[in-house]
Amino acid sequence: MSVAELKEKHAAATETVNNLRERLKQRRQQLLDTDVAGYARSQGKSPLTFGPTDLLCCRTLQGHTGKVYSLDWTPERNRIVSASQDGRLIVWNALTSQKTHAIKLPCAWVMTCAFSPAGQSVACGGLDSMCSIFNLNSQTDRDGNLPVSKTLSGHKGYVSCCQYVPDEDIHIITSSGDQTCVLWDITTGLRTSVFGGEFQSGHTADVLSVSINGSNSRMFVSGSCDATARLWDSRVASRAVRTFHGHEGDVNTVKFFPDGNRFGTGSDDGTCRLFDIRTGHQLQVYYQQHGDNEVPHVTSIAFSISGRLLFAGYSNGDCYVWDTLLAKVVLNLGSVQNSHEGRITCLGLSADGSALCTGSSDTNLKIWAFGGHRRVI
Amino acid sequence: MPPKEAIVLPSVESDEDGQQYSFAVEYIGPPVTYDLPRAVPINVEKIPVAAVVSKVPLSNTEVHIPVVPPILAPDRNRFSKELLLQPTVSPTSVIAFQERVSADTNNCLLSGELSSYESGELAELSNNSDSSSRRLVACSVSNEHWSKLDSCDSPDKPRGSSSLARISIDDDLNQPDWGSNESVLSLDYPSSRVSSLKTGDCNNESNGDVRRPQVVTFRDIESDDGLDEEFSQDEVQAQIVRVKRQPQTKGKKGSCYRCFKGNRFTEKEVCIVCDAKYCNNCVLRAMGSMPEGRKCVTCIGFPIDESKRGGLGKCSRMLKRFLNDLEVRQILKAEKLCEANQLPPEYICVNGQPLCYEELAILQSCPNPPKTLKPGNYWYDKVSGLWGKEGQKPSKIISPHLNVGGPIRPDASNGNTEVFINGREITKVELRMLQLAGVQVAGNPHFWVNEDGSYLEEGQKNTKGYIWGKAGTKLVCAVLSLPVPSKSSNSCGESLNSMNSRSVPDYLEQRTLQKILLVGSPGSGSTTIFKQAKILYKNVPFSEDERENIKLKIQTNVYGYLGMLLEGRERFEEECLAEMRKGRSSKDIEPEAGSSDDADRKNVYSIGPRLKSFSDFLLKTMVSGNLEVIFPAATREYAPLVEELWKHTAIQETYNRRSELVMLPSVASYYLERVFEILKTDYEPSDLDILYAEGVTSSNGLACVNFSFPQSSPDENIDTADQHDSLLRYQLIRVLARGFGENCKWLEMFEDVGMVIFCVALSDYDQFSADGTNKMLLSRKFFETIVTHPTFDQMDFLLILNKLDVFEEKIERVPLTRCEWFDDFHPLISRYRTNTNSNSINNNPTPGQLAFHYIAVKFKRLYSSLTGRKLYVSHLKGLEPNSVDSALKYAREILKWNEERANFSFSFSEHSFYSTEASSLSH
Repeated sequence: MSVAELKEKHAAATETVNNLRERLKQRRQQLLDTDVAGYARSQGKSPLTFGPTDLLCCRTLQGHTGKVYSLDWTPERNRIVSASQDGRLIVWNALTSQKTHAIKLPCAWVMTCAFSPAGQSVACGGLDSMCSIFNLNSQTDRDGNLPVSKTLSGHKGYVSCCQYVPDEDIHIITSSGDQTCVLWDITTGLRTSVFGGEFQSGHTADVLSVSINGSNSRMFVSGSCDATARLWDSRVASRAVRTFHGHEGDVNTVKFFPDGNRFGTGSDDGTCRLFDIRTGHQLQVYYQQHGDNEVPHVTSIAFSISGRLLFAGYSNGDCYVWDTLLAKVVLNLGSVQNSHEGRITCLGLSADGSALCTGSSDTNLKIWAFGGHRRVI
Repeated sequence: MPPKEAIVLPSVESDEDGQQYSFAVEYIGPPVTYDLPRAVPINVEKIPVAAVVSKVPLSNTEVHIPVVPPILAPDRNRFSKELLLQPTVSPTSVIAFQERVSADTNNCLLSGELSSYESGELAELSNNSDSSSRRLVACSVSNEHWSKLDSCDSPDKPRGSSSLARISIDDDLNQPDWGSNESVLSLDYPSSRVSSLKTGDCNNESNGDVRRPQVVTFRDIESDDGLDEEFSQDEVQAQIVRVKRQPQTKGKKGSCYRCFKGNRFTEKEVCIVCDAKYCNNCVLRAMGSMPEGRKCVTCIGFPIDESKRGGLGKCSRMLKRFLNDLEVRQILKAEKLCEANQLPPEYICVNGQPLCYEELAILQSCPNPPKTLKPGNYWYDKVSGLWGKEGQKPSKIISPHLNVGGPIRPDASNGNTEVFINGREITKVELRMLQLAGVQVAGNPHFWVNEDGSYLEEGQKNTKGYIWGKAGTKLVCAVLSLPVPSKSSNSCGESLNSMNSRSVPDYLEQRTLQKILLVGSPGSGSTTIFKQAKILYKNVPFSEDERENIKLKIQTNVYGYLGMLLEGRERFEEECLAEMRKGRSSKDIEPEAGSSDDADRKNVYSIGPRLKSFSDFLLKTMVSGNLEVIFPAATREYAPLVEELWKHTAIQETYNRRSELVMLPSVASYYLERVFEILKTDYEPSDLDILYAEGVTSSNGLACVNFSFPQSSPDENIDTADQHDSLLRYQLIRVLARGFGENCKWLEMFEDVGMVIFCVALSDYDQFSADGTNKMLLSRKFFETIVTHPTFDQMDFLLILNKLDVFEEKIERVPLTRCEWFDDFHPLISRYRTNTNSNSINNNPTPGQLAFHYIAVKFKRLYSSLTGRKLYVSHLKGLEPNSVDSALKYAREILKWNEERANFSFSFSEHSFYSTEASSLSH
């Protein structure tokens, strides 16, 4: 078989695949008789109402000198790790709003950070294509810097996101600009499995985000610049369990719904979407019409513990609180009094759902809680 | 009157929780006219009157007359009647008031005349504790009075319920309000305070005659001694305070500034800027996360109170109690190291010249710095390193030759001995020391003393001796408390060398670091530029570890090249055999019986069985991709074989035909010709080896190096601007496009870079990528993506056209039109003529230069069509250090122009036009 023939066949096969995909899409469209909001409305549900004082900023964490890019809570003990443009990780005590660790990173271009489930270590990754693990209990060196306790190297592109596998401190899943996700064994520092890549049916562009299912930690989703989200079983690296189409732009962020059967996505096309992992259907699109033609990108999302609220940060500085049931914006955190001066770049809910932490390009983090429930300090 | 004050609220700093801000929200609505000065009327009403009051009778029971006027505020009509009555009924009214207070459990005031008014307000306050607007209004009205309230009133703490009520109000709304008024208040604070205190005093006495309620007795215990003290302190503060920040709120003496509870003896934390004191409960709320140490949230970013500098970084017991060890450590570290808390350099004058940031940094980071630098005037003898306070004898010998401050003045240490050292008239003590050290000081000599203590008379050549040479001298110095050189003092050469490598504090590094992003697609030579920069500007370009890794990498590469050669050899052998067979079959008729068998298997490309097996082994490992795993480690074993192989004619023959081996990179010959040397275990790669090596820099796509340009030449006159320039550090960040996807999400991370250098290999114009696209076009596409990326809006780009040497050589063979983007390249001068007349026509550009200019213009047009701005272009030969040096210096110039552009934006466009043109022509 000559090269020309091969190319021809390849083109034909690609054509077939695309046709099939198109048919699949149409079929799905037919089957999609309603969405969550439509159904809820028909059931007579009314949207939540939020007063301007219902969500209060109760702490401001100051200490970074650059934009905050990423944050993560510990499952307990109210600690937060944040990563910033200034090349530092800071571990915060959210209750006292004090820093407990400030870690100067060997590579300043950090994109993501994560707290280990036991709260003993933090991980970060960035343009150095490595995931670095810092043990918070290790001794600082002469200059007062915490040494790297492990580097996980093997990615061929930047590390865009990392998350520890819940309930174990030894496994972490990273996503990378080399189109793969990797499950790592931290104790050995080796790759346990690689999801996607050249020879496998993985993402076809940079993977930007991962989220592990809270109720079944073997399942995780990834969102990518190829405008899809993929569901993976961490035991089966060979192929994705399911691919979710629908977005018309890079999928910047994915987050599992608290019940573990759904997940949300945020994309450059300005929408957030809710997908069901069992049916593979798209359940709801969250999109707020804007006056001008500029469609702001969704940069980060987080669900409230019940799943009724979806917090979504946008590239134009908005941070909407969506009522997931009725697909209505109930509050814009970006314009609330006392909010950040810069745009909100990352969001995270504490494990017990009592507080929301937002990181911003104004170098601060703020912790929000529902008014009246807690008296501060 | 009141609402106007409330409008001020939104400007309050974000130190409170959201609840308080929700009140503020309601007040944003009304049109803000920025009538802040309206607070002034309150002052006007207060100051003069209060001042008068304080002077008039203290012991007299007839207090009423002077006190009344302040209450006769023009706008408080509501209370005027009551107030007018008061003078006559003062004592009774107080009693009546006391009763009333106890009746409604609202403990307002003792301060006689004011009482009814205040109590009325307060009652209203506590009743409507939920209607925010009215509260705020009320609060702002009584703003001034509250300060009185607090001072007079706090002794009645025992009355639990009521004081609590008040405090809670304070807590919720008083503070923001005060914050807004603070600037105005601070001016007349002391006087108003005085008046209030006096009022309290009088009141006290007047009360004493009639009846003494419990409250009053309580007050007596504390107030009498407390009052005077506070009074005087207030006055003292008033003097200093004008310069520094004032606390936003202030309770009575000794109480917490936020909750107004507690007394002098409760433990408190002090703001290092405004001296506000907070109790246990309030400190976290008032100081937040303490990004700059113990400062109120509103004081963040302000310079600290110099008197507190000594306490920086010293932990208090209180912090330790309610924060854990790690948290405390972070706070103290921030306090010590953050920029806002550093000694302002202009506070330090050296030889009559205030320092700038860089000079202070030099001073503090020199090997032998003056200890505990405090604001003040100093003199510094640059030659000998003597250092002292202005007008005093030397206190220390610091590192000499620091470029700090102005020239030393003769009267710097205020000496009157007429003996001079390095142009400074020395003090008597020093003269005494010199005498004891055996130095001839008769005849008022002028000495020249070097840092090592050698001295000579001015205008003479030979050293007369060493001042600190004798053992006794040091003892003498100790007795006279004069400094002696410390043992660690370095020679000047060393200190200059360490200039580049010394550590700079973080905040300063941030300030002076200029980031340059170096982007290029693979094969564009950006890595070479990066390595060149390392070699050019770093004292130790590669660490031991790096070198070891590089060595292994080079050795692996060499095996790789060897493998490619062997592959080629096999091919050539087969080709040769086929040729021979063909030749034989055509001449089949002539039998060559004897030699035919031999010739069948042997030709120039054949090798022996032992080498053959090695060759097969090498090729197999290469195919399986295990080359890196096996080879450098097994070098010892295989080196002899490789040697044999290399010397073998078959390999040599193949090597001679290396141009036919497409896979073999051109650099291979550089290494292969020195293969024995390289494969030795003790091989140490030279800088050039490293430069040529492929894939040796930490190859995960991103690498960065910090450097500063060395001063051009030491004997050149260094003006101060240049000196500061050498402090400017540059960070060259190399990013390979390979590791990073097409859509460049990662570019956002580089929004803080000063400029972008985009690297393109000129010689790529006839190269094609695996899928058949011209590499130059790929580069162009990548270039388009990068320059149009929103992150790099308004960013300056420098295009480096790399590999000019290869290009010039190639253009003679391959026409530039091979790349379709360049199909309209029609050089005016034919190649033929330039070649023949090469020596006669010097100013005729070579085709290489022409083509370079043509490509540069192509890129410039593309750039300006995309962005509407000018593109800087430079060419480069990656392997020539000077070429890289000049390109990077050009980049530095561009960065400098940027600064100039900021200063003189109007004249810039012209300037840049000339610069770009000149540079692209001059190279």
